[in-house]
Amino acid sequence: MKTTAFRLFASLSKIQKQHIQFFLLALGLLMLVLGAGAPTDGGTIAH
Amino acid sequence: MILVTALIAGYLAGLCWAKWRKTNWQPPVLRSFWLIFVAFLPQVFAFYLPGVRNQIAAPVAAVCLVTSQVGLLLFCLLNRRLPGMYILAFGLLLNLAVISANGGLMPISTLTAAHLIPAQKLAGLEIGGRFGASKDILLLPETIVFPWLADRFLPPGWSPYQFAFSLGDVFIGAGAFLMLALSQKPAELAQERQPYTC
Repeated sequence: MKTTAFRLFASLSKIQKQHIQFFLLALGLLMLVLGAGAPTDGGTIAH
Repeated sequence: MILVTALIAGYLAGLCWAKWRKTNWQPPVLRSFWLIFVAFLPQVFAFYLPGVRNQIAAPVAAVCLVTSQVGLLLFCLLNRRLPGMYILAFGLLLNLAVISANGGLMPISTLTAAHLIPAQKLAGLEIGGRFGASKDILLLPETIVFPWLADRFLPPGWSPYQFAFSLGDVFIGAGAFLMLALSQKPAELAQERQPYTC
């Protein structure tokens, strides 16, 4: 249990501020292009 | 898919470009970044959230789409100094124009729709109604305002993934690609704009 908690903490501590900033940037840009664009594949109808 | 591909390709091109210039890739510095999340929120409910998007009537979805795209256009204008942003904004403006002219949703003709869904399913759809839970509205080709700006383009027939996209989508993809591919430090940008002095 103690080892698992330590491993979890160790992996979390590797997440740096830059990683979070990059994730937010990628998410934001994804929202920008998906929101601005309007392609369709008929997905909800075709399947 | 076309837009996500443009983002990934732009990022990879940016990494290669930075490596060739022997520098590190720098993400674009965006002003009023929060505006993207706020502007996109209405679209989450109207087009992306399963279980909710099917419950939303076409007029409400239309209001969500237009207000959302106006917000995103404002974001583009606030960040117009970034490479590719003018192209992205132009694509968004084209989409917004055709969407607004056709009642608030992106028009797709019955001819184009026939390439995407089986004929019996298409026959069951109402002309003038939402095209599933997408941003599109199904219209007869002759009733579409600005038909060249509608979702009318298709990938080659041999492509396993078939989808319809607009001219605006092409500009948006190109703008997003350039924004990531040519992204550099603000200091580097200023340095390149200055005339060479000894």
